[in-house]
Amino acid sequence: MVGIGYRKDFSEEFLNSDILSPAFIEVAPENWLGVGGYWKKQFHQALERYPLFTHGLSLSIGSPDELDFQFLANVKAFLKETGAVLYSEHLSYAKCDNAHLYDLLPIPFTEDAVKHVAERIRKVQDFLEQKIAIEIVSYYTPVAPELTEINFINTILQEADCELLLDVNNVYVNAFNHRYHAKQFIEQLDLNRVRYIHMAGHEQVSDSLIIDTHGEAIIDPVYDLFEHTLELLGRDVPVLLERDFNIPEMEALQAEISRLSAIKENVLKRTAHAIA
Amino acid sequence: MQLLKQTRQYQSDLAGYCRTGILQHIPGIHTSNVVHYRKLVMNVVDDILQNAYPLTYDLLSETEWDSLVADFFSEHSCKSPQVWYMPKELMEYVIDTDHALLKQYPLLCNLLQFEWMETAMFMMQDIPVVHTRNGDLLFSKLVLNPEHRLMALDYPVHRKNPSAIKPEDQQPYYLAAHRDEEGQIIFTELSPALVRVIEHLQERAASIQELYQLIEQDFGIQLAEADHLAIIHFLQQAYREGLIKGFSPA
Ligand SMILES: [Fe+2]
Repeated sequence: MVGIGYRKDFSEEFLNSDILSPAFIEVAPENWLGVGGYWKKQFHQALERYPLFTHGLSLSIGSPDELDFQFLANVKAFLKETGAVLYSEHLSYAKCDNAHLYDLLPIPFTEDAVKHVAERIRKVQDFLEQKIAIEIVSYYTPVAPELTEINFINTILQEADCELLLDVNNVYVNAFNHRYHAKQFIEQLDLNRVRYIHMAGHEQVSDSLIIDTHGEAIIDPVYDLFEHTLELLGRDVPVLLERDFNIPEMEALQAEISRLSAIKENVLKRTAHAIA
Repeated sequence: MQLLKQTRQYQSDLAGYCRTGILQHIPGIHTSNVVHYRKLVMNVVDDILQNAYPLTYDLLSETEWDSLVADFFSEHSCKSPQVWYMPKELMEYVIDTDHALLKQYPLLCNLLQFEWMETAMFMMQDIPVVHTRNGDLLFSKLVLNPEHRLMALDYPVHRKNPSAIKPEDQQPYYLAAHRDEEGQIIFTELSPALVRVIEHLQERAASIQELYQLIEQDFGIQLAEADHLAIIHFLQQAYREGLIKGFSPA
């Protein structure tokens, strides 16, 4: 299954032609919660045709602030109403000192943050009565780090007993920005927890920095890393193509979806043979 | 609470930097890369606000706009988890803080209210109402479209380009804004008597004859034939454009 991030920017074109044929769509609940009128109609048309995956933005799981249970109750209702297959969020914070920032900031890689975040994920899972998938985010600077990134992530996953949203592009971006081996990083992750994969493009802004824009096509080294990840997984996991800016023709998006599907099918065939 | 004061402080420092551009010392931070966080945050905020307030953006100079956005985001703590709703907080911030720009642009308050109204109504949840399209405008009880708002303005920001509005344009203006079947927002300018017509219909469905009587009571007057015609004309248009949704089912 390869899905697409459903965006208002291409909603009409998407719904009025069959060029783009994803297996499912993904939205941020924040963008559709409490929305009526024109967009509700469009969204319902999309829901009639495709299963829904959700990927939140504002829960701010890594925040020092209290969890917003009113907001979470709205999310819970949204998940139920739309029959969403899963709810995922970011391993980052987007709210601090009671102010939303509408962006994903990196959590300090510290012992206390591990405990804090793991506890919050557990609380959210209890409240939603379902497991959530947490995404490793791209980051451009460490913040007062005491632990390695891999240690930070694996311990949270274990202590929270949650699922992992593995954004392969984010790992590529982080490996480039922080000079480590992306493949080795993925090999060290607790891969049994991978529930969902994200794939996207990015923008290299200097010799030493990539910004995770979701505004370009996926590059070949990220496809390679994706293939390697699937080989390690040896099982079928839903994959999402994220494209948030600089949206190309529907044909170009479909070509990326097709390429992702082909890689996945190939790897699954190979691993099935290897096992048999 | 598992989080140490120190960790909390670093998180607050990073968030504060994104909002204000003032960077405290945070151990391990890449000072050349951290600037991208501020850029990314401010780009999103600026973009959302420009989209929500295109007329305001055109009216203000670039410096005025940039400093308004910077003031807003650093001084105000955004409460909404939904970014599309955040522009409402800019409008409230300008009004609540009696922002310095209001002196230079007395109509700014109205302009922000007018522009936000369009977004808020475009996005608002659907409100179902029991009605039928079978009826007669002249005799049946009229059902108002619940997806509407009334607003009062001091400047004609709904009619004129904001930069062409003069101090002498200041007077009371009344508007109804409603969402039609296609989801588009339509603004209708109203006289004080027509505002009362809408307000009566907000309370309950009423026929034109009932509305005439209510208006006569409100204003202590006797409506002339020309007034009747003006009200009929307004209601016909309101029905065509969807401000009147239909008729009360028998
Ligand atoms: Fe992602």
